[in-house]
Amino acid sequence: MSILNRTGDGRRRILKIQLLSLLPVTLAAIFNSGYQYLNGLAAGPGDDLRSQLAMGLASSLDDPGLYDYFAVGLSQLLPMLLLALLVGGVWERIIAERCHRPIEPGFVLIALLFTLLLPGAASFTHIIFGMTCAILLGKGIFGGDGKSFLSPALLGVAIVQVSFGGASGTHPLWNGVAGYAGSDAFALYHRGGEAALAQADINLWSAFFGAIPGPLGTTSLLAVALGAAVLLLTRVIAWRLLAAQVIGLIVIATLVNWMGAETGIGSMPAYWHLLLGSFAFGAVFLGCDPVASACTNPGRWIQGFLIAALVMLIRVANPIHPDAVIPALLLASILAPLIDHAVIAWSIKQRARRHV
Amino acid sequence: MPGSLDLETRKITRLALLGSDYRGVNPELLCQAGDEVRAGSAVMRDARRPAIQVVAPRSGIVSKVERGPRRKLVALHIDVDDSLVEREFTRPASQEKEAQREFMLKTGTWSSLRTRPFGNIPDPAAEPAALFITALDAEPLAPPPAPIIEAFAPEFSAAVNALACISSAPFYLCHAPDYKPAFDPASGAISQVFDGGSSAGLPGVHIQALCPIGFAGGEVWHIGYQEVIALGHLLLHGKPWLQRVISLGGEAVDNPRCLQVSVGAAIDDLLAGEICDGPLQLRAGSAIYGRPLDPGQAWLAAGQRQLTVTRRAADEAPAEDPGVGALIPGDWLEALAPPGVFPVPLLRALQLGDAERARELGALELVEEDLAALSSACVSNSDYGRLLRRVLDQLEAAR
Repeated sequence: MSILNRTGDGRRRILKIQLLSLLPVTLAAIFNSGYQYLNGLAAGPGDDLRSQLAMGLASSLDDPGLYDYFAVGLSQLLPMLLLALLVGGVWERIIAERCHRPIEPGFVLIALLFTLLLPGAASFTHIIFGMTCAILLGKGIFGGDGKSFLSPALLGVAIVQVSFGGASGTHPLWNGVAGYAGSDAFALYHRGGEAALAQADINLWSAFFGAIPGPLGTTSLLAVALGAAVLLLTRVIAWRLLAAQVIGLIVIATLVNWMGAETGIGSMPAYWHLLLGSFAFGAVFLGCDPVASACTNPGRWIQGFLIAALVMLIRVANPIHPDAVIPALLLASILAPLIDHAVIAWSIKQRARRHV
Repeated sequence: MPGSLDLETRKITRLALLGSDYRGVNPELLCQAGDEVRAGSAVMRDARRPAIQVVAPRSGIVSKVERGPRRKLVALHIDVDDSLVEREFTRPASQEKEAQREFMLKTGTWSSLRTRPFGNIPDPAAEPAALFITALDAEPLAPPPAPIIEAFAPEFSAAVNALACISSAPFYLCHAPDYKPAFDPASGAISQVFDGGSSAGLPGVHIQALCPIGFAGGEVWHIGYQEVIALGHLLLHGKPWLQRVISLGGEAVDNPRCLQVSVGAAIDDLLAGEICDGPLQLRAGSAIYGRPLDPGQAWLAAGQRQLTVTRRAADEAPAEDPGVGALIPGDWLEALAPPGVFPVPLLRALQLGDAERARELGALELVEEDLAALSSACVSNSDYGRLLRRVLDQLEAAR
């Protein structure tokens, strides 16, 4: 409580907590992208900016150590993050000047979330386009931080995925690795089930710690859980919403398994649904965004189950979007005000029954 | 024996009656600067319903009548002079409703009843849908009601009997789980236990649980336990109770304790020699539900039971106003909201001034104090107490 009271600017404090909660995820993203990049390097490095940076910073590519993973990962993530910050900052500055208000530092969080949701191969065009949409459509036209009904980063990523056909998670993850046709771990399962995972050397533990291919920040369940703990302890996010999403996913995945699909996603057990793909990251950092989710307690339960149901529906029924988290969260965010409206209308009816 | 409470009694030399404590009345003064007044004698009354009177809490001389914009009464200042004896009253002739109400009106104890919605002084001819005695105080560092009620047990019981006579509505005595005040079961009072955090002592919480206010125009009345004792004192002894118990607390107070002081005492007098140096934050009430006070000109309000003084970091003292921003509907607001109220929709309705929606969401059960915790926890820098009052004023005008 003491961190959120009025002494000082509460909005900045919340932003600091949110950035702090993304620290473990960011560190995991750096190490994992370095690890994945170096693993896939057998075919020789490419010649784009990120690959050149990686070549320049790494000390030994044949026998990589922690430093090499960190340096190579940083050379993947940092140019993307800096570009996202630059684009976001420029638009924020323009909007602030046009609207005669101070610059809101929230664009830093948006840029970080946006970058962490992209694969390492995301082109700079995608970043410029996505961040522009995130700041302008996700935040600017609604009047600023806290006034939107969507998470701006989520909107930016969704627009990129819709606009650029290859960007929705099925495309190659690393630009610089010529001939590397790997895609994220979820798509691997989609194609070949557990056998494909075993072939790519993915087991439950490597998935838990995050040493699996996937979009930059979404691979490590451990890092996501640490971030969630920070957000839950400070009560920035609602535990009911998070619990509803996780419980919903486990319940529905188990139900789908029971219904007896032999192969494909239908037979994927619930723990793989949690470990692979960006569900955990999306549930904590995007689904629970306090601004873009339902604001009544019953509404939070409903929205959480809705997100889980949509994710499972799209995962099972639609092979184009194997991961399905981004469109599901977007739909649930759009429906959140409607859910709240229904909950409030029901509560007013209940209240009217017992008044004096 | 009255005053058997083993507490330090603070001598004061001046006090003030605040016009803002008497919501819903249009005060007409019955004295001028320089007049002698005796404790218990009427100093002002409602211009529209002259039966509603406000009495002097101590004997003394009216030193100043302070008026604000549009000649609104801000405060009536009295220099205390204890050589003047207090006024005596005769007990009500019968247990009839009219006689009991008249006694309360004549002695000024009627003005310690409050209505919900709106927090007004009730109309002498009105009928409540329920009557609540708030015999618990769950706020941090509040004076414990149990020893105070124990010390005045006969007074408390007599007043419960009297209050049972003023209306035939359900009559609830709300108390904490660990202490049930003794009262005559023949009075018909229903004892209700409230537990659960620092909001358990707020009348708004009791009303929401037992008699929610909706659309039909009903109102409920509530009264604090110390005001009940004051009524009992008048009934048993014929003389007004001159003291109230308040607690002086907070990290910046050298010796936190309970004190007996007069209603309306000057806060500067109370705090002299009690607090440490440095930038401080004064609150009338607890650190959670209290109303921030400006240092200097401040007086104890009617019904106030707490004075909390906390330190304020030096660099935060002259913080520039960051302006009203967006409401971030975080989960931390849920724990601070009155039970049965959706905090975020209500706060949004208040920010928009949407009186109809606010009423549907339960604003009629609330007054400023119920939203104080939300105001300090919300990052939008809105003063929801003030916004709520604006909405309540609209709803009251439309009744």
